[in-house]
Amino acid sequence: MAKGNTAADPRVGGRLDALAPWALVVGALLATAGFVVNFTVAPLVNGAAVSEPALIGDVLVGNKLLLSQKIFYWHMPVAIASFAALVFTAYYSVRFLMTKRSCYDVRAKTATEIALVFVICTMVTGEMWTRFEWGVWWTWEPRLTTYFILMLMIFGYFILRNAVEDAERRAVYASVFGILVFVDVPICFLITRLIPSSVHPVIFRTDSGLSPEMMAPLMLSLVGFALVAFGLYRLRLRVQLMEDSLSRIQDKLED
Amino acid sequence: MDPILAEIYSTVLDAAPFVIAAYALLFLVLCGYVAYIMTKLKRTEKKLAALEEHLDESK
Repeated sequence: MAKGNTAADPRVGGRLDALAPWALVVGALLATAGFVVNFTVAPLVNGAAVSEPALIGDVLVGNKLLLSQKIFYWHMPVAIASFAALVFTAYYSVRFLMTKRSCYDVRAKTATEIALVFVICTMVTGEMWTRFEWGVWWTWEPRLTTYFILMLMIFGYFILRNAVEDAERRAVYASVFGILVFVDVPICFLITRLIPSSVHPVIFRTDSGLSPEMMAPLMLSLVGFALVAFGLYRLRLRVQLMEDSLSRIQDKLED
Repeated sequence: MDPILAEIYSTVLDAAPFVIAAYALLFLVLCGYVAYIMTKLKRTEKKLAALEEHLDESK
């Protein structure tokens, strides 16, 4: 049987929760700074060659300038945040299966919810980019396909949770499924290395081709969204634990 | 406008609505989720207050 709260459970309302609102604020500020630097410092990337180069400022430009690439500076950080949240899903799912403590199941569920939010963010920003660049809403490109499967698996995770009434069985099934969802994360991450695609270049490498002006907004947004994800996770976890405590008290009073 | 410059910037204006939409949608999704958490928090606080009231009355 799944065990209730014990003294050995991870703490709620401690230092991490005190940091959560600050993480949200600092994260939002860093992401905003990334946005500003993106549109003020980072240069536009080059597209197709033009018939004749022209001098803009002091720079000789021989290609069309692509504004659509600006989506990348928030698109990639939210995708990485979704992967990071799923790492926590897997960690807490394994912890639950090892200990059968319900506190880990709650944490796995919360982390998956955060992952879903960031997956949706990644999908909507990616969709806008795809629609402009290729004139279609969807293309079965390897990274897009594996990420779409990841999104469907996360939906499946919540459908599974809602389908099983018994709390203990629900937690065990969800933990196993949570680990399976996580299996898609490295596949999704490495697919551009396994099946090279012009749509999704490999960013994490020693020579990513990004200049310092482009790296600065990317890093600001990356750290910013990581902090936002952490802040949202702690906030959601506190609300969930409050709800659980309340329903436990109500059940006791009814008995 | 210089035809070469017009060609260089030809995709910029067309892409602008999609770039704005991408940032706006991302912002909306995150704001929506924060609103969802806050609604849940308010509902739980209301239930807690009702429970306290109920306990005070039953004393």
